[in-house]
Amino acid sequence: MKKGFGMTLAMLLTAALALSACGSNNSGGNGGNNGGSNTPGNNESSSPDNSGGGSKVTLSFWTLFSGGDGDNMQKLIDEFNKSHPDIQVKNTKLEWGEYYTKLITAVGNGNGPDIGISHTSRLPDLINQGVVTELDDVAETAGVDWGTYNENLLSATAVDGKHYAVPIDTHPFIMYYNKKLLRDAGLLGDDGKPVLEQSADGFIAFLDTLKQKLPAKVTPFALSNSNDDPFRLWWSLYHQLGGNDVISDDLSSASLDADKGAKASEYIQNIYAKGYIKKNDPDFYKNFQSGTAAIMMTGVWATGTWEATKELEFGAMPIPKIFDQEATWGDSHTLILPVTKSEDPEKRKAAITFADWIAENGQVWAKAGHIPSKPSVFDKQEYKDMPYRGDYASVADTVKFSKPSTKNWSIRDNALFKYLNEVWASKMTPADAMVKMQDAIQKTLSE
Amino acid sequence: MRLSKLRADVLALLFLLPFLIVYVLYTIWPMIKGVEMTFYKWTLIRKMSYIGLDNYKRLLQDSEVWAAIWHSTIFVILTTPTMVVLAIVLALIANRKSRLQKLYRSVFFIPSVLSVAVASFLGLFIFQPYMGFVNTFLHLLNLLPQDSEIFWLSETWLSWIAVSVITLWWTVGFNFILYLSAMQEIPDEIYEAARLDGANDWQVFWRITLPHLSPITKTITMLQIISSFKVFLQIYIITGGGPLDKTRPIIQLIYQTGFRKNDLGYAATMSYVVFIILLVLSAIQYWVNNRKGEHA
Repeated sequence: MKKGFGMTLAMLLTAALALSACGSNNSGGNGGNNGGSNTPGNNESSSPDNSGGGSKVTLSFWTLFSGGDGDNMQKLIDEFNKSHPDIQVKNTKLEWGEYYTKLITAVGNGNGPDIGISHTSRLPDLINQGVVTELDDVAETAGVDWGTYNENLLSATAVDGKHYAVPIDTHPFIMYYNKKLLRDAGLLGDDGKPVLEQSADGFIAFLDTLKQKLPAKVTPFALSNSNDDPFRLWWSLYHQLGGNDVISDDLSSASLDADKGAKASEYIQNIYAKGYIKKNDPDFYKNFQSGTAAIMMTGVWATGTWEATKELEFGAMPIPKIFDQEATWGDSHTLILPVTKSEDPEKRKAAITFADWIAENGQVWAKAGHIPSKPSVFDKQEYKDMPYRGDYASVADTVKFSKPSTKNWSIRDNALFKYLNEVWASKMTPADAMVKMQDAIQKTLSE
Repeated sequence: MRLSKLRADVLALLFLLPFLIVYVLYTIWPMIKGVEMTFYKWTLIRKMSYIGLDNYKRLLQDSEVWAAIWHSTIFVILTTPTMVVLAIVLALIANRKSRLQKLYRSVFFIPSVLSVAVASFLGLFIFQPYMGFVNTFLHLLNLLPQDSEIFWLSETWLSWIAVSVITLWWTVGFNFILYLSAMQEIPDEIYEAARLDGANDWQVFWRITLPHLSPITKTITMLQIISSFKVFLQIYIITGGGPLDKTRPIIQLIYQTGFRKNDLGYAATMSYVVFIILLVLSAIQYWVNNRKGEHA
């Protein structure tokens, strides 16, 4: 009896499964059929319904932007779709942390998007893995003029003279200051800019005055104690001293200039040791945002956030020229055309038209704080009307990009962050750290 | 007779088939494929080139790998005994006849329902300097001078303590439930008899409760060693493996090698080394348990 019941139940379940499978099969089949009949319908421009006359190209676009960046990009896409009736761009927002892994695997099995985003520093890796395509031919067909782009940004995306990406911005490392606190310390000039002597001693003296004049709970210099932002400062100072990346020109060996690297890290270590930076600050963005820090350094993307913060009276400027020449860390967002199964020339032409249009309308993208990649945008009234951006637009020319190595991100994560963090915590001397970094860079390169 | 048994087997197989197909496709096949990957340079996208035993040779000389395996071992040493002892203590508390019995049971178990991300972020906030719970609490009790801070997540050993404490708090509930149910299966008569013979609480615990828990203790210890050795996410979220990779467990290194450095072949090689270590550990455990079982 019991067995019989079990059997019946099992049969019922199986039947239910089989039925539901049939159901989904059917609907799947229908969907497929519909899709199949739709596509040719669209391509046949002879169809009387198609009042536009030409065929409509639909492009899939994968982005990694969230927050303000995400909104601005969506605005641009909507605007583009409205002004280009024959092209429709569909935005798929992906999580930034997983973006590259997803892009690489999707392109690898032929399901990649028509347009994607890449950071300039990540581009060589994508080229090496066969994820992105060359753009010169299609750019010529679509009439894209490479001369309208900032030379410094564009050349960082070209490998062996070939273009692989359309840079839409640069987001360098800059300095923000709290005007109210600087005024309290007597360090704000009549022009609303900091009174700061641009030299190694000058910057220390500036921080020291902030520390002396402001209440003890105010942090003179908001900066994290590990990873990205102090590394960016180190990268900037290392290049101000005349350093040139940490790998050789042929990208095969480690070539960290140990003297310059040590000098730059010693300078920063000293800033930490003297207590100008809050030790192990859990959230230095919040520190600056809540008006309890006099200056802070990070990428330009923070501008939009500070603007949206009530009662934060702030200013923005390039990283001071502490050493010999102006230089700062920076990266760019670029648009790429990933490898696709069909390599449809129509789609590619539409895609590069879109990319160029995004760069051309950099004033919208600049709302978050980025510097547009086309100098012509600087002259647009809309751009000029936005405060702060003009104060650091010149930095686009002094950004020091990484050399086009496929290992840029690996080197940064596994060789640079790690030892520099120890220097900031005064657990390692700058000279020792340089030796260890040199070894770790070499190890990463030869892996 | 024989025929009907065969028929039953075929029928059973038929019902197992849907599961079996999925299991073979998504577990057994990738495992075999994984062995193949260890002999290749293999990126996220495709097989690059055959490199023979290079991955294994490289692994033997790679101090990072051995350091990471050692870190996982440290975590096992830190968490396994504490997890067992704490679970017994909590079970003893919750097993006592008391009005708060139900409260104890839910309070001790509730953290286990959190996801690893939630538990880890709570840990991150608890151990943060300046605003974190632990430091604020120490300031409040004046155990820590007002103008100084303990940087839990910047010193290697403090990080280990922080990560272990969070893991204990988060996962001890499961072991606790196992112990609690084991305790409730110990017959009351034995306790009564012991009491009549004049045994005190201490003697009852050592002579009766603990020996009766020994089978479940063996199981829990083994499961705990394996799961502690596989630690990844809470460390990844709380310390990121830092400072200076000194708390980076082997699974994190495998993840970074495979998905960040795009070197799946080498990551697969490391995975197999971990697999073998766990296999050996389980075998030793099994052997020890069985031998003791025979003598008892």
